[in-house]
Amino acid sequence: MHIIVPVKMVPDTTLVKIDPETNTLVREGVPFITNPFDTHAIEEALRLKDRYDAHVTVISMGPPSAEWVLRRALSLGADQAILLSDRVFGGADTLATSKVLSEAIKRLHNEHPVDLIICGMQTIDGDTAQVGPGIACRMKFTQLTLVDRILQLDLAQKRIQVRRKLEEYYESVEASLPALLTVVREINSLRYPTVPKKLESAETMIPVWSNEILKLDPNTIGLKGSPTNVRRIFAPQREKGEIIDAMGDNKDAAVNMIIDKLFEWNIVIQN
Amino acid sequence: MFVGQFIFAVLFIAALIFFAFNFYRLLALLCLGRWENRFDFLLTRLKNMFVYAFGQLRVIERPYGVNHLLIFWGFLTLLALNAEFLISGIFPAFSLSFIGRIPYGLLLTATEIMSLIVLISVLIAVIRRLFFRPAYIELSADAFIILFMIAALMVAYFGYHAGEIHLGKTDWAGWMPVSGMVANLFSSVSTEPTVQTVTHLCWWIHALVLLAFLNYLPYSKHLHVITAIPNCFFRSFDYAKTVPRLIFQRGNEFGISRITQFTWKNLLDFMSCTECGRCQDGCPANHTGKTLNPRDLIHRGKLNLFTNGRSILAGRPLDSLLPTPADAEMNSPLIGNGENSISEADLWHCTTCGACMTNCPVFIEHVPKIIEMRRHLVMEQSKFPEELTNFFMNSEQRFNPWGLAPTDRAKWAQDLPVPFVEEGKPVEYLFFVGCSGAYDSRSKNVVTSVAKIFNHAGLSWGILGNEEKCCGDSLRRLGNEYVFEQLARDNIATFRKYGITKIVTHCPHGYSTLKNDYAQFGGEFEVLHHSQLIDQLIREGKLTLSKKSNGTTVFHDSCYLARYNEITEAPRNVLKGTQSGSGFVEMPRHGQNGFCCGAGGGRMWLEELEGKRINTERTEEALATGANTIAVACPFCMTMFEDGLKDLDVVDQVHVKDIAELVAESME
Amino acid sequence: MSQPSDGNKRPKRPRGKVRYIEGKCIACGGVCQSACPFDAIDINDQGEPIIHLAKCNGCRKCIKVCPTEAIELFYTPEEEKILSEYYKTDDIKKTAAKLSTIEDWKGVWVFVEQIGGHAHSVSWELLGVGRTLASDLNVELAAFLLGNDIGNLAEEAFGYGADKVYIIDDPMLNHYQTATYLHGCVSLIRKYKPEIVLMGATGLGRDLAGAVATELRTGLTADCTGLTISKEDRLLEQTRPAFGGNIMATILSETARPQMASVRPRVMSKREFQQGRSGEIVRESFLLPEQTLLTKILEIIPTQSQSSVNLAAANIIVSGGRGMMAPENFAMLKELADLLGGVVGASRSAVDAGWMPHAHQVGQTGKTVKPKLYIACGISGAIQHLVGMQTSDYIIAINKDKNAPIFEVAHLGIVGNVFEIVPAMIAQLKQKLSHAENKSKIAV
Repeated sequence: MHIIVPVKMVPDTTLVKIDPETNTLVREGVPFITNPFDTHAIEEALRLKDRYDAHVTVISMGPPSAEWVLRRALSLGADQAILLSDRVFGGADTLATSKVLSEAIKRLHNEHPVDLIICGMQTIDGDTAQVGPGIACRMKFTQLTLVDRILQLDLAQKRIQVRRKLEEYYESVEASLPALLTVVREINSLRYPTVPKKLESAETMIPVWSNEILKLDPNTIGLKGSPTNVRRIFAPQREKGEIIDAMGDNKDAAVNMIIDKLFEWNIVIQN
Repeated sequence: MFVGQFIFAVLFIAALIFFAFNFYRLLALLCLGRWENRFDFLLTRLKNMFVYAFGQLRVIERPYGVNHLLIFWGFLTLLALNAEFLISGIFPAFSLSFIGRIPYGLLLTATEIMSLIVLISVLIAVIRRLFFRPAYIELSADAFIILFMIAALMVAYFGYHAGEIHLGKTDWAGWMPVSGMVANLFSSVSTEPTVQTVTHLCWWIHALVLLAFLNYLPYSKHLHVITAIPNCFFRSFDYAKTVPRLIFQRGNEFGISRITQFTWKNLLDFMSCTECGRCQDGCPANHTGKTLNPRDLIHRGKLNLFTNGRSILAGRPLDSLLPTPADAEMNSPLIGNGENSISEADLWHCTTCGACMTNCPVFIEHVPKIIEMRRHLVMEQSKFPEELTNFFMNSEQRFNPWGLAPTDRAKWAQDLPVPFVEEGKPVEYLFFVGCSGAYDSRSKNVVTSVAKIFNHAGLSWGILGNEEKCCGDSLRRLGNEYVFEQLARDNIATFRKYGITKIVTHCPHGYSTLKNDYAQFGGEFEVLHHSQLIDQLIREGKLTLSKKSNGTTVFHDSCYLARYNEITEAPRNVLKGTQSGSGFVEMPRHGQNGFCCGAGGGRMWLEELEGKRINTERTEEALATGANTIAVACPFCMTMFEDGLKDLDVVDQVHVKDIAELVAESME
Repeated sequence: MSQPSDGNKRPKRPRGKVRYIEGKCIACGGVCQSACPFDAIDINDQGEPIIHLAKCNGCRKCIKVCPTEAIELFYTPEEEKILSEYYKTDDIKKTAAKLSTIEDWKGVWVFVEQIGGHAHSVSWELLGVGRTLASDLNVELAAFLLGNDIGNLAEEAFGYGADKVYIIDDPMLNHYQTATYLHGCVSLIRKYKPEIVLMGATGLGRDLAGAVATELRTGLTADCTGLTISKEDRLLEQTRPAFGGNIMATILSETARPQMASVRPRVMSKREFQQGRSGEIVRESFLLPEQTLLTKILEIIPTQSQSSVNLAAANIIVSGGRGMMAPENFAMLKELADLLGGVVGASRSAVDAGWMPHAHQVGQTGKTVKPKLYIACGISGAIQHLVGMQTSDYIIAINKDKNAPIFEVAHLGIVGNVFEIVPAMIAQLKQKLSHAENKSKIAV
């Protein structure tokens, strides 16, 4: 069995702050990390590897520094890693990203047929959840998004059963392989790499595929291949926390305030 | 008598050979461990041996320790005459009397008196074990066998000599008061032939028990009679406050999972355990119902060494004292659930408080062994309680245990007159704020107080701000040396960048780590705990405490101050300075005998699901003193007491305060 | 004496060079680097541009693509000198580079998401914003519907503002499946060429939208919070949060059609329903290509049927701490949670006290949660608790100690008695929910 996990290096957006005075993004001290959703995709692939002896390949499109994200995956137990890096890949939106990733996967698929692609449900910097479906569509793989549990995998029959986590219910689905899964965080809890594996992965040569290898039409990738572009960026209006003293007589006012907020925040809605 | 002599000679030689063989085997077992140089500073070592092995300084700290001292010295005194006794068994004419009449006579008298004392001591020991046994002493057949043997030796000794006196076979009757009294007893009740038989019997009992004793030792906990003396000789001079550095290179092993990965001195530790149970008595985990028992842990180490070691030795010729071959098979895993193994759960229960080590009379070092085994679990196996995954990842990626923004580290200082260190502008003291001080809202009040004190005293100081990283204490004790080393290196580089020479911390964990652990990475700085610096400032007259409090205050010693670094006076001096009256009280367990709060050794980040909570136990002890303020000098202890007070529902009556907060309150 | 070199020829107009304005870069992923035709830009480890002046020829492509105006043009002192001599009249050419085919695409479409014949309200909300967009563009607003036996929804769509409804009604479309719906949507869009397609950013909508956009090789902007039409170029301005909500980005899809956007439920407002409003219905037949990859739905499992508490997946969490005083008081938190459709959480000290099982624990050694709403009752907010819940969308804290650290992270903090506030909340909510007879309901 061959599993591909596309991963992305992202800035740790939970640490990004807006400078309240200048209204600009404070990025100082914000490290790059493996997209947290992708870490669960890697973990799920490794769990399948433990059970079915799968070959796990991680790929990432990004700058040369994104290499360490792949090393991290190797240290956890992935078998192979490929970095897709070329300045012409830069500035890509989700459409152009899925193009490069799927072309790379096709190359890998030709060498060693792929049974599963496992993606994180979305990235924390983009939050679009579009690259997974994009790859599935381009690869013509069965698309199973929002998976929170793999229920069954029948390699002989090339069937898979998963549970999908939708807003109001779970859905168990059966589909044929090869398939692309996007996984939610609850699907598993992460493992921690051993030191020998870390040291080994630090020395592994990671092949870099540039567009000289992939030979893609420059008009379909990177900035040129991206139909969307950012016109401007601005700081959002922020709501400041409010503290209300509800000791004594103020109690009813405070409760009214809570209920109003529940409506304002769309927790409770007027139909 | 010739037949008897012959039989004895055969038995004696056989016993000697057997003993020599056993001794040799023990030596061979020690050689299975890794090499470590403990042959330096021989004079200091000799001194240690005399003070702690012969002087038994640590043994007598506890009740009944004197009892042990007397038996020990009794045996030493008896040594000469027992040697004479054994030799004369083969050569009846042999006697030590050639040393002169008076010396020999005195030797006889001394032996008589010591034997009596030993006999009484043995009786006390038996009575104590039967009727007043403390919980930490296990009722073992082994103990009674040995006590019985000692008693038998003494009784037989008196019996034999009394018989000789009675029968007029000795010229030294006047020098043997006890035997003389027994002889009088004989004359009143027995006929001569009976006395002759009894004398004969006593001689044989004494002879056989002596030989049996010699050969029973290696098979019992009384192996310590042989090993404890060298263990005191080879002890670490320093309290085991750190663990060895590792070299992170491919092919190296990280941590210990096989008994033979320990050094020979560690193996000698395992063999030296007297099973006195004092470590167990001090252990917070054991005290609160966890399965960890430091005595049992060392015992299991010994069993593991014996089973695995003997099977390694079985496969090689007798004449080689060689190290363990790399491919040696271990029948019993060191870490596991068998009876010769140490369980994973036990390793995680340890708070690394070090009470076991301070209590151990023969200087066994429990904690470094536990950390070495944790290192294996964490770094080689990735096997640890699941709560730690978050902790490890946060420490690695965001340099604090909670995963809060590294850019928020200096936030506490935002609106305060807190100076930041700058390149090219050296300050005298770097205040290493630590993660708790920087992020935990309760501890923020402590560091704010520290800042107030420093400013008040006009100190030249500063903080690193966002460039500071976690000191790595918990990581190191939990066995995650890899991430610890990264943090240590980064911090040291930052200290150097700003030309730091003196560092002050308010957290004993940061203090001990910066002071004792960072030295292995070239970080040699003068490190002070805030209690020391404040004490110094008060003594220099730079701080005056005028608003004294009149409540009752009890001080809880942090393990990493009191035990790891022997700081017990400074915080007490400071505290007493904040008090108007004599409201300072102590808990029964304090100073180096203090009881852990439960958060050390990375336990801060683990759930405590088994048994009673350690912090509850300690909080109860503090409350029992009647104090209304519990003073601490550690953010972890602070959290544990805060939780303890909440659990016991006394938050409104009793408060936990850091000494810095109390000092700041007492300042004008 | 005349100047020897440039006496006759006018000097060549200097093009200038670009430079990076420190601190403005947001590490968008090397857009400038990619745009530079001269390889004059490298990206450092921080994601910021390093501009090699020797290679830069001042083409300004990087300036145009930079979303944060972090790159600016400047002239070297020599160039400035030449410039000052250069004549002042410089025509700025306004070029509206538009591909001719783009003009073929007309109209605003909204995808009506339905399960079992019931439309998801996000669809009607999208018709609300779609109406405004269509008016601004002066084009038709259409709804498109896929499903089985769903004709009744067309009328609803008209009522909420659609001018036209496209329907594919086929038994194959009874349950949502990516492959069938993808095929249906793509064939409709290819045939009728709408310029804007809006979808709900629900689980289903996101599953479908990504596939449709890829199949059509067009742009898609997810989770928009604002949709407007740019007056000058008739483009859809799609505003959405980025960097975990720390900044807002306005995104355009200039070169491809349709311009696709998804919007989360309850972000836009639906229009007042107009009874009897009608329009044209266009029905299309459904023909599935043979090799379509079908999935089979085996079971639908309601969320509530999960026996064990799933804190991490919960949208609303009502948590209690030490301040709840006794285990029986958690009943009132349960009641509140049930009313709101949430679950009950607990702080470590409440779990330690044995009031709640460990599975309910939120914090460093329990679960890390990120619900839409977190209500902390009688929780002081020890750091080990805060790190487990502080990224919740909204936090309400009720605690009697006004200095409790929980108030530092709360969006709404109530300094008060939990035993008064919570029952009053329950009473009010019950009244609001029943009084208005289904007028208000829990939204998440």
